[in-house]
Amino acid sequence: MSKSGLIYYRDLIRELVLRDIRVRYKRSVLGFAWTLANPLLYLVVFYFVFKMALEINIPRFGVFAFTGIIVWNWFQSSLAQSGSAIVGNRELVRSPGFPPDILPLVTVTSNLVNLLVAIVVLTGYQLTLGSGIHSQILFLPLLVGLQFVLILSLAYVVAGINVVFRDLGHLVVVLLQLMFFMTPIFYDASMIPDKYQALYRLNPMVHFVEAYRSVLLGQSGINWWAIGTIGIISLVLLMFGRSLFIRHSHRFAEEI
Amino acid sequence: MTVPIRVVGLRKSFRRKHMLNPGTLKEAFVSRLRRFDSSEEFLALDQVDLEVRQGEIVGVIGRNGAGKSTLLRLIGGVGLPDDGQILVHGKIGALLELGAGFHPELTGRENIFVNGVISGLTRAEVAHRFGDIVAFSELEESIDNPLRTYSSGMQLRLAFSISVHTSPDILLIDEVLAVGDLAFQQKCLERIEHFRRKGCAILIVSHDIEQVKTVCDRVIWLRDGKIAAFGEPQGVVDQYERAMLLETERRRHADVPARRTRTGRELRIDENRKGTMEMEIVDVQLQDIRGLPIAELKKGKALVVVIAYTTRKTIRSPIFSLTISDENGETFLDTNTEQLDMPDIDQDTVANVHLERIDLPAGDYFVDVGAYAQNWGHVYDYHWHVYPLLVAADAKRDSSLHTPPRWELLPANAQDREPVIEDSNKV
Repeated sequence: MSKSGLIYYRDLIRELVLRDIRVRYKRSVLGFAWTLANPLLYLVVFYFVFKMALEINIPRFGVFAFTGIIVWNWFQSSLAQSGSAIVGNRELVRSPGFPPDILPLVTVTSNLVNLLVAIVVLTGYQLTLGSGIHSQILFLPLLVGLQFVLILSLAYVVAGINVVFRDLGHLVVVLLQLMFFMTPIFYDASMIPDKYQALYRLNPMVHFVEAYRSVLLGQSGINWWAIGTIGIISLVLLMFGRSLFIRHSHRFAEEI
Repeated sequence: MTVPIRVVGLRKSFRRKHMLNPGTLKEAFVSRLRRFDSSEEFLALDQVDLEVRQGEIVGVIGRNGAGKSTLLRLIGGVGLPDDGQILVHGKIGALLELGAGFHPELTGRENIFVNGVISGLTRAEVAHRFGDIVAFSELEESIDNPLRTYSSGMQLRLAFSISVHTSPDILLIDEVLAVGDLAFQQKCLERIEHFRRKGCAILIVSHDIEQVKTVCDRVIWLRDGKIAAFGEPQGVVDQYERAMLLETERRRHADVPARRTRTGRELRIDENRKGTMEMEIVDVQLQDIRGLPIAELKKGKALVVVIAYTTRKTIRSPIFSLTISDENGETFLDTNTEQLDMPDIDQDTVANVHLERIDLPAGDYFVDVGAYAQNWGHVYDYHWHVYPLLVAADAKRDSSLHTPPRWELLPANAQDREPVIEDSNKV
């Protein structure tokens, strides 16, 4: 892509992400504070149900669950919204010179903003509590980058296929709801019986959630082998998914 | 010197959306089991060749569905042709989807940036031209209000203003020049002329035949996806209009009985009446402001024309027209419903046209009424010089403040129900 093309791409992403964020919070009472209110509300309910009622024994349950929630939310929201990334932007796709492959990218990026805000708050909380930050936090950008690749690769697949088969978006939402329970958000992965561990760990989000906990809360080490493998597979999936997406993108204008 | 736009042997067909086309995974799964072949091809463009040179304006005319928008989009790079070549040199600016990226919750200012970047400007360029864009659109007052508070006319003005502040080498315009009031349209045409003088190659789709004749250097007539004529505007337009007339004749119902008006005048086809009669004008009454029927009016007084339409089938968004002409055929007043959001008509309908002041010199006039298909495609019914109106002199000299005529549509058998559509000429 030429230099002017890159600037166009960059400005376009910026304007569309800004548009997404502004629109989401324009007329809400809480406004941008809703970014935090959402995970915090989940946390309150989880704390009551899992920590207190079901007595799941995890030290410092609050930050434990909060980390899981915000990492999962990025994954879940991006994929749930990617279904409509193309079909919901008809006039954009039909505008000459508009690159439709930018739309799933915008979706993932605007949801990333939510995660970053939450991480800042969480880290601030850790500091005030005195638990401090650990050197492992330096790995955070790498972790975010790898998760970005994972989510984006899936987003291209969902966004593209949903143009032709409109029920895929709904199917994805249901699958995500189920996958929520298969990810250690409000419980620890060690609570899964040994014979199911291998199967359980096929879920890439298991490894990401654990890695984030390690980086943000200093809990145990990062499983680099797992993360690295996921990273490579995601990269391959991204390249393949994106090129497939672009190859068929000329049909999008007609199909929506 | 390379030609900015060059199209050779362009062919494009669409798979018509069939009920049997799998639109969901479930349907695809089921149809695989039953081996349904559900494709139905529709040829939108067939062997189209054209060229647009630098500093040239080429117009594209034709009926709805003739392939004009498809042609423009393909040249703009949206979608791929099935056959043929599209060779484009230069940066493309398009007035195709006006306001792409607009969101009603964002302010005008925020929307300018979104749409400006989508239209190909960098953010820095949008910031630099921001003042000009706002000034051109005449929306300084409301620029920081949310877009949903804008009327549709204001939104279109904003979108148009952004588009004309890009710097394209090629401009593709799809029927969007009828935006805003006459003064704004004039500004837009001047901008287009400005682009032309800078060497921009302009391709414009329009239904305004008059505009196409005056503005364009060459005109293409597209009929059913094929080029029916390409060349000098006057020549192509003449051919097009001749064909339209023949079309009207061809569709006519031969068994329509000669009608008489309520005043006893006989309506005779080809003498004072023409049209396909798919929709008919069955009654025209001239009334004064109190609703009493008249045939004579004092200059400056209000006139209400009540027109009754009947239809044999559902008519999509017709255009109703009313003109006042004198005995020599010179037109003094011309109003129609083209700018209104007309519904589909499937029942007997009555239109009340309110003319606040008839400021005509004293004399004999006729009220001519017409019903046309969408976009003036063909004539359903037209009564010419059938309904007389005598304008009497008035000694008083008042200043004439011209209020635009007001159209009001009602279902025929419920005069006191809510009007189906009302126009107060707001923009």
